[in-house]
Amino acid sequence: MTPLLEARALGLVLGGARILHGISFSVRRGGFLAIVGPNGAGKTSLLKCLGGLRRPSSGTVLLEGRPMEGLSRRRIARRIAWIPQSGTDSLPFTVREFLLLSRYPWKSAFSGESVDDREILANAFRLTELEGLQDRPVHLLSGGERQKALLAAALVQTTDMLFLDEPTSFLDYRCQVEMTALVERVNRERGITVLMVTHDINLALRSADRVLALKGGGVLRDGATDDFLDAGLLREIFDTEFHSFGGDGVRVPYVAPRGLVL
Amino acid sequence: MKRFALPAVLLFSLLCVAVAPFVGMHSVSWEDILRSGGNGGRIFWELRLPRVLLGWITGATLSLCGMVFQALFRNDLASPDMLGVSTGAAFGAVLSIRFGFSFTVFGLFSALSTSAFLGAMLATAVIYAAGTLRGGGMSEGTLLLAGIAISFLFGSLNMIVQYGGGYVDTFRIMRWSMGGIQTVGFDSVRAALPGLLLIFCTARLCSRELNLFVCGEELALSRGVPAERMRRLLFLAVSLAVGVNVALCGPIGFVGLMVPHICRSLVGSDHSRLCGASLLFGGGFLVLCDTAARTLWAPAEIPVGALTSSIGSFFFLWLLLRKRR
Repeated sequence: MTPLLEARALGLVLGGARILHGISFSVRRGGFLAIVGPNGAGKTSLLKCLGGLRRPSSGTVLLEGRPMEGLSRRRIARRIAWIPQSGTDSLPFTVREFLLLSRYPWKSAFSGESVDDREILANAFRLTELEGLQDRPVHLLSGGERQKALLAAALVQTTDMLFLDEPTSFLDYRCQVEMTALVERVNRERGITVLMVTHDINLALRSADRVLALKGGGVLRDGATDDFLDAGLLREIFDTEFHSFGGDGVRVPYVAPRGLVL
Repeated sequence: MKRFALPAVLLFSLLCVAVAPFVGMHSVSWEDILRSGGNGGRIFWELRLPRVLLGWITGATLSLCGMVFQALFRNDLASPDMLGVSTGAAFGAVLSIRFGFSFTVFGLFSALSTSAFLGAMLATAVIYAAGTLRGGGMSEGTLLLAGIAISFLFGSLNMIVQYGGGYVDTFRIMRWSMGGIQTVGFDSVRAALPGLLLIFCTARLCSRELNLFVCGEELALSRGVPAERMRRLLFLAVSLAVGVNVALCGPIGFVGLMVPHICRSLVGSDHSRLCGASLLFGGGFLVLCDTAARTLWAPAEIPVGALTSSIGSFFFLWLLLRKRR
């Protein structure tokens, strides 16, 4: 069976610098893949190449066996929704207006807001519990609310894949937990395939069923989540010593940095 | 509040168009208008009404062009005149006046319009290339500086062409480049209309794309906007509209900068509403300015471009200072 999404020997060169090289892997339908690695490992660039936002310099990305370059923006946008890392700093729209914009790939220039749209919006509002904030301007939302609004917007796009770039970086504990739970729910209940970039290995351990570790623009390890409880592997990825708390009796496995590699 | 904004703008616009033809040195009564042949009737039908309509179309066109630019560049300070596109159009037009080009395209666009359009295209291409060379996205400072550079470039080219011209040409070019709405009869109105229709239809049909552009290039791409193609289309439409307009009325500054701002504060940032508001308010606004320009110093009149630019520069400074806070 053809995988949902597949990268073949992906490489990216920007301004003479080699950002990514020789990346090959595939994504299972309904899976939750975390892409981890230190700053500058090329995580975000890889996600952009996979989502068709950036054209790789070499290699191809296949969406259900078809090369991404051959697909129109609209067709890609019907499959992949995106929660960006930032760039929503000064949006002049209300939450509702912003969500409605995500219906774009499904509509023509002449069609207005349909009953279906309203249904889909209401659904997304309900899931993210943002009903009360519909008419608030996006730039007045708190960090946590904004992140949820971005998730809601992605859901409104009604795709079968969800790409997240550092979804919890700037959130406090409560918002982190809320956001993570929402993404997990979307993945398990709606069967939406999730690709998440993060430098937070604990987030990956908690939510993902598979982890891809990048370092220096290449794949260091592609494996099951539990493999990443190995302190030796973590040291190799992050150049940092780790304590690892997993195994029997630990409900949520986690790791903590111990110190620099001497 | 926002629900009543659009009807209010419509009312304002209609009022401007309805009242302005009656304002002026020579008072015009209803009987004058209905009776043919009289002096009052001729002033109304041949001078004032065409002028008001041309003013309305010009104001609306410039405002819509400004609105599109502000969305494309994600910058409140962008407009065709700020970025030198109007000066580029002026250069094309000046060349056409100086060398007396005469041809028409599709019987719709005169030699003057076409040259102005090509000038506008050239200026747009330069900004566009500058933006692309920098890997897309220019900071506000860079954008405005690029605009200034382009304005200077085409401004000095204009001077060179003028300097080499004869007495009559030079005078004509100079008067024209101050930007004014002068017309006798409806020919100019008919000539200006295609530019407005083009930019209004394009902007209205692309209002969702414009909304997404405001959210940023990456977000627009991820929602399925073919950003590159769309941007080229919109640049082309703006250049055409600006070209047609500059050819007829000369460069009229700051309308395209101010009106979209005022409209955003009235109806919000959704471009499906903003299009209508910019059209109506921009039209009314320039009619108002032009009426002031021809009555304040009566019997003399000042070019409306000089008036809008002097109001506009204060507005611009206010915008800059407000942003710094």
